[in-house]
Formats: sequence, structure tokens, C-alpha cells
Amino acid sequence: MEEVKDHIESKTKSGKKGEVVIEVKGLKKGFGDKEVLKNINLTVKRGENVVVLGRSGQGKSVTIQCIVGMLTPDEGSVKVFGEEVPELSDEDLKEMRTKMGFLFQGAALFDSMTVKENLEFPLTRVLKLKDQADIDKRIEEVLESVGLPDSGDKMPSDLSGGMRKRIGLARTLVVNPEIMLYDEPTTGLDPITSREISQLILEVQKKYKTASIIITHDMECAKLTADQVLVMDDGEYIAEGTFEELQKSDNELVKSFFNDIK
Amino acid sequence: MAEQVLTGWRKWLVGVGDQGVFFSRFVKNIFSGGFEWSEFVRQCYEIGYRSISLVGITSFIMGLVLILQLRPTMVSFGAESMLPHTLSVSLIREIGPVITAIICAGRIASSIGAELGSMKVTEQIDAMDVSGANPVQYLVVTRILATSFMVPLLALMGDVIGLIGGYIALNFTDKISFFLYFNKCIAALDFTDFLPAFIKTIFFGFAIGFVGCYKGFNSNKGTESVGIAANSAVVTASLWIFFIDMIVVQISTILFYSK
Repeated sequence: MEEVKDHIESKTKSGKKGEVVIEVKGLKKGFGDKEVLKNINLTVKRGENVVVLGRSGQGKSVTIQCIVGMLTPDEGSVKVFGEEVPELSDEDLKEMRTKMGFLFQGAALFDSMTVKENLEFPLTRVLKLKDQADIDKRIEEVLESVGLPDSGDKMPSDLSGGMRKRIGLARTLVVNPEIMLYDEPTTGLDPITSREISQLILEVQKKYKTASIIITHDMECAKLTADQVLVMDDGEYIAEGTFEELQKSDNELVKSFFNDIK
Repeated sequence: MAEQVLTGWRKWLVGVGDQGVFFSRFVKNIFSGGFEWSEFVRQCYEIGYRSISLVGITSFIMGLVLILQLRPTMVSFGAESMLPHTLSVSLIREIGPVITAIICAGRIASSIGAELGSMKVTEQIDAMDVSGANPVQYLVVTRILATSFMVPLLALMGDVIGLIGGYIALNFTDKISFFLYFNKCIAALDFTDFLPAFIKTIFFGFAIGFVGCYKGFNSNKGTESVGIAANSAVVTASLWIFFIDMIVVQISTILFYSK
């Protein structure tokens, strides 16, 4: 376990821009008789935002759940910081997860806790911080980053959809993750709030130098945040490139995503 | 038909296996360090303190009703003076612990099942898990230990309040002093009446917490499953209570009363 921990530490601390942090090869995953992921190949470099587009139910979320170790692949390789995720022990997986942030579609805030307690949770349980002044400073800083500096005492039920997403993002950022996984970050939000969240994703990339996978249907979000875009259909990536490259694609499905984009 | 029966049994066996795995995770996490004391205390308050009035009222009525029901029969035997003895033995040995546990199964197992089920549906448990925190330690260990600790205390309180209810009922028709009544109640009891009853309430508490947590933690992803988790937690915990009662009574009969 120590070896893996040291390896992850060395990879994360000495990592340079352009270095591959997520590498998925030949990933297959099914549920019962249904094969959801048929052959997924994906590479994400440090500091890069990869946007995954695709119709609902095509397995976009399943891919990132395999990356974070929530699901075990049926076949294929899923490497994060060079470590094969399905082969990690519980302790090593836990260690790995401290370097990754996962923003859930509904933000998944702990609704029995205030915003401040939500942010304290990973600091005291994952980073095991004891110094309350340090904890408060980090919380203040991250709330400032997401533009909600005065929301610490609020309960999640008092927050709007956009605010919940921001606090969800703050909770993952508070532990300084190297990798961010966004599961439909703008779904259910109005266009203005969606744009603000997309802007925030971009700011996070710049400020925290994170590598990110962004699962979305929101083309505005994709246009604003993507360094690389992947289009998924029937358990495979059918197109890959920059946003501008894919805009010129001849593929009907790819075109249908880009139709309304000016 | 035969296939349906086989599928049903297979599901049941898988469920038993899952519960075994869940139990081993619970045990492993008790000793893995970093015990969540503040959450444990909060759960003791939620589970114990907030159940006091419900358990108190039910136990009071139970003691009162038992005396009212017992009296005519005891009078016909000329054994009216044995009423405090009869009540205290039946309350302490059986009725107090079982009624308290059933009340707690209804209130606590359902609330734990619904709370954790709802956390599962809204991906809060997944969020804890992927952040590198330990949801079993934070949510499960604290709740199961809190129920195992608080249900015995609630049962003890329920026993005392039940006896007070009996005293009031007895004074509707007869005049008996408070001290004489409680002297009679205590004189009728032996250590062997109290000990198995107390031990079984610890198991009742464990069953309530364990079933509530298991059902909530393993609920499906959908709002309907929250209701199913809560409902199934109450039904299963109640069954466990009667099952544990049967076993403990059988063992204590062999150990203490088989002369």
C-alpha cells in the first residue's frame, strides 16, 4: 500500500502539464445482458479539459464511475496516475480518491449538514486536518472561489440549483484534487447559471491546474470548457477532436449535436 | 412455478450473504480507528432522547392496562395481593423489552432506513465514498452502536414507567402505598429475571440499527425505494425482535429456570 501511496504522491506532486493522468483502454462494462460500454479508449492529460457528449443512456456516466472505482470494468484497463484502478486495494483506492473530485449531477450535498459542515467533512475525514483555523481558511478560500462567500451557515435546502452545484464543486475543490470528474454539471439549470457554472469549470482548470472529464449535453458548456471533445454512441467513442474540428464533422450524429451552435 | 420458488430462494440466500458482508464491514470499521464520536452522540440523542416520550407513554399505558386486565382474574383466585409481583415479572422479563423494541423498530428502523435510502438515492453516500471518506464508519457504525446503546436504556426507562402505570391502575380500585407497591415489585424480581431481559434489549437495539442501515444502504436508486427501504426495515426489524426474543428466552430458560 505504501508503495502505491508513494507512487501516487510522486506522480501528483512532480506532474507536468501534458503528462497523461487518466488512461482508459478497451474498457467494457455491462449490466445483466446489456453491454453499456463496448470499447472505450480515453486519454486525459494534466491540465486538460475533456468533454464527453452523447445521448442519454449511452454510458457516459458509467465511464467516469469506472475511472473513480465506483464500478468495476468487465474488461479493459483503467489507469489513473499510472495505477490500474480495479486492482487497487480499498486503502489504495481511498488514497487515489483523495486526488480526484467528483461533481454529481444533483451535487449530492449532505442535507443534514450546513454548507460549512459539508466542506469540513472531506477536510477532517479525508485530509485529517485538525487545526480549525486552517480548516476555516480553506473553506473561506474555496467559497470565495465559487462566488458564494457568505453561504457557510446555510442548509442545502436553502440553496438554489445553481448554488448547490457551486457548493458541490467547492466541496470537491477544498481538498485540492488533481483530477475533476463532472457528471452533467449544468443539467437542470437556466442558461445564465449554466454559463456561470461553465465559466467556473474553466476557472477551476486554470487556478487548480486540474485535468477534467466533463460529461454534458450542454453545447455551450462544451464550447466554453473543452480542450478536446469526444462523442459517444452505442458504448463507443465515434468522434474525437477539438470543438471546432467536430463542428465540421460529416457524421450525422455529431452534426446533430452541433446543429444549433453558432 | 418451481422456477419462481427457486428464484425466490436464490434471492433470499443472496440477501443473507449480503447481510453477512455488511456485518463484516460494520465490525471491521468499528476497529479501524477514527471513531465518529460526535456523530455517535448525535445519533444517541436522535435515537434515544427523541424516543423517550413515545416509549414512556406506551409503557405507562401498557402497565396500566395490564393491571386492569389482570385484576378480575387475580381477584377470582383471591390473589389480588400478587398483582404487583405479576406485573413486575411480566413487564421486566418480557413485555417491557419487547414493546420498547417494537416501538423503536417502528420509529428508529424506519427513520434510519428512510434517511440512508434517501442519501443513497441522492448520491450522498456515493459522494462520501468517492471523496475518500468512509460512509460505513460515519453512517453505519455510529447508528448501529447508538441503537445498541440506547434501546436498552429506553427499555429500562419503559419498565419503570410501566410499573408506575400499574401503580396508578391499582389505586383506581385498591389503596396501596407507593413504597409498598414498589417493594412488592422488586421483591418479586430476581437477578435472573433482569439480566436476560437486559441482554436481549442490546440485541434488539443492534437488530433495529443493523436492519435500518442495511435496508437504507442497499436501497435501489429511485424515490420509490426510499419508502420500500423504510417499510421493509420496520417489518424485518420487528421479525428479528421476535426471533431474538424466542432464542434468548429459550437460552435463559435452559440456563436459569430449568430446575
